[in-house]
Amino acid sequence: MVGRRWWTPWLWLAPALVLLGVFLVYPVVDTIRRSFLDERSKNFVGFDNYQFIIDNPQPLVSDTHSALLNNVMWLTLFTVITVCLGLILAVLTGRVRYEAVAKSTIFIPMAVSFVAASVIWRFMYEFNTEIGTVNATVTSLGGEPTAWLQDTGAPQTWLTQRGPDTLPQPIQINNLALILVGVWMWTGFAMVVLSAGLKGISTEVLEAARVDGANEWQIFRRIIVPILSPTIVVVATTLVIQGLKKFDLVWVMTGGRFKTDVVATLFYKEAFRIGDFGVGAALAVVLLLWVLPVMVIGIRRFQFQEETR
Amino acid sequence: MFHSKRSYLLLILFAITAFVGLGFVACGDDGEEGPQIGSVDVLGLWGDEELVSFEAMVAPWETDTGGDMAFTGTRDITTVLATRVEGGNPPDVAIPAEVGRFQQFAREGKLTPLSACKGLEETVKANYPQGFIDLGTVDGVLYGFFMKADTKGTIWYNPKFFADNGYEPLTASSTWDDLIALSDQILADGTPPWSIGVESGEASGWPGTDWIQQILLNEAGGDVYDGVIDGSVPFTDAKVKDAWEKFGEIALTEGYTVQGGAEGINATNFVNSSYPPFESPPTAAMVYLGGFASGFITDQFPDAVAGEDFDFFPFPGGGVTGGANIVYAFNGDETTCSFLNYLASAEAQAIWVNRGGFTSVNSQVSLDSYPDAVARAQAEQLATAELFRFDLDDAIGGAIQLAEFDGVTQYLANPGDLDDILSDIEASR
Repeated sequence: MVGRRWWTPWLWLAPALVLLGVFLVYPVVDTIRRSFLDERSKNFVGFDNYQFIIDNPQPLVSDTHSALLNNVMWLTLFTVITVCLGLILAVLTGRVRYEAVAKSTIFIPMAVSFVAASVIWRFMYEFNTEIGTVNATVTSLGGEPTAWLQDTGAPQTWLTQRGPDTLPQPIQINNLALILVGVWMWTGFAMVVLSAGLKGISTEVLEAARVDGANEWQIFRRIIVPILSPTIVVVATTLVIQGLKKFDLVWVMTGGRFKTDVVATLFYKEAFRIGDFGVGAALAVVLLLWVLPVMVIGIRRFQFQEETR
Repeated sequence: MFHSKRSYLLLILFAITAFVGLGFVACGDDGEEGPQIGSVDVLGLWGDEELVSFEAMVAPWETDTGGDMAFTGTRDITTVLATRVEGGNPPDVAIPAEVGRFQQFAREGKLTPLSACKGLEETVKANYPQGFIDLGTVDGVLYGFFMKADTKGTIWYNPKFFADNGYEPLTASSTWDDLIALSDQILADGTPPWSIGVESGEASGWPGTDWIQQILLNEAGGDVYDGVIDGSVPFTDAKVKDAWEKFGEIALTEGYTVQGGAEGINATNFVNSSYPPFESPPTAAMVYLGGFASGFITDQFPDAVAGEDFDFFPFPGGGVTGGANIVYAFNGDETTCSFLNYLASAEAQAIWVNRGGFTSVNSQVSLDSYPDAVARAQAEQLATAELFRFDLDDAIGGAIQLAEFDGVTQYLANPGDLDDILSDIEASR
């Protein structure tokens, strides 16, 4: 027999490793390197670029504080709303007769190009009531049109207390409008994955609970949710990462203007629009450090599931 | 079996190598036939009708020289250009609208001086206005020339509506107070005098900066205007602040805009803002936008006749601001030079001028080439302006340009924060 040489597995791995190296490892290392260099990546500036993010010296053109807070908004609201809606829809669609039709309808936004969906929603939110469906509905019910994508005000008066002077108000009408579009796109995904998990719960368990006299709410709360919790975590981590790296939707709908910038749009703007590669790279590194723990949790969880299978 | 498979693989590898090698040799043969006009890679802004016109303009060059133009058009040109230059893969020729980045490229030695192309520098210096030559010059070297200029000293109105109501279009010698008086008169008769929209995606706010720079040039003069560009006059200067407040007087006075004030102005797209004066009946009387607005109007109202259904009067005060596309090259090879020489010529530009939507700054392009009286009047305004300045934010570029855009939208929403906004803009310099 022609023996297996030690390098045989490496040979088969090589294409993947080369691709990973060129398109992942090298850019990451280079981004970290550039985050310590000046705007043209020539001179070493230490932690100046990170200081820029903390000090926020140019609040008009690159509001770093607002971008970080908006990312927190995306992270929490987007994830929580999408998971909850997805779970409710998974349970409900499992009980209707036209399950396939209902699920496909909810899943369709996921199949639309995100940029196309963003363009569509720009029209939906348009201020001019002859174009904007949302404002046309509002005015036909007797309300005043709202500039959904430009209004930085808080949606409710009880939320209008401002934070400290240097911090922007995180809960803005336009941020919520953007996040709702994200929810619209991703609910289908959450529903489908959770629904698959739901189908995996054996009917004996549910029937046993019913025999014991549990009502539907108790079954949902005490049995379905705990059994589904590993799946929920997987869905939630995916959504958290999506929320953190959100770019397309914000860029197409507002261009990050009117205080809707998130870290991903801001680093693109800094690096490529303004031409400051230092600050751009530093923002990218901040985003990477932020995503990293979430990814680790996600992968751990996945491995744990694989082992217990 | 194993063995034969490997030799098979080797054979394929060898075949590929040989093929590629032959390809190179073949290319080498081609090059030895002497200098030839090849393909020129152009990065610009245009799409749709503008691109069709540009291609029509380039067609004679392609026929005469056997050359070929590969055009990439993107509204995101600043980003794409920066990325390609950074990545060591610049286009042969770039035609953007902003000159801030152009000056940076020139200082970094990335651009080819026009003198590298035989006859080009002489043509430009002989036929182009001095102001545009100065703008294309960095550290004493001429790197770029301007084509497709646009006056931004134009207030568009509906002549029929004005005549029916007895309103008099203003002239260059009118004053700011005349403009306010006219606005008040129109408002008193029950029509909002203005339509303003500053929404433009990532660049939202720029129509407001056009207003402010035009007011600044008229009220404070050319020296202050130049000072703001070179940094000797800060944005916090009282004269700059006065220009912002005058813009606010128009945009924020109750009843002055069909958009109903700040929120509507911020949420209305600038293209859509050019329609109200020309609806029937008109829902606003005037819109201030550059010469390019005539294109928006004729697109929306295909039957509108220039001079009868829409026309412009000069922004009162006599000064004229304007923008233009700058043409510059990243190399000086035969093809690029031939292409640039052609683009700079009057016969090339007359082609697009004649198709409409193009104002030439080449003095050899005859005024008779323009398709209608309104287009000709725009060209005349640019050619005869006593006080002309290039668009202020396009001249500065970079972070401060974006800061000024954002300043406009924030000022409209919170006019009381003007002092903070102006010092924030200055901090981005």
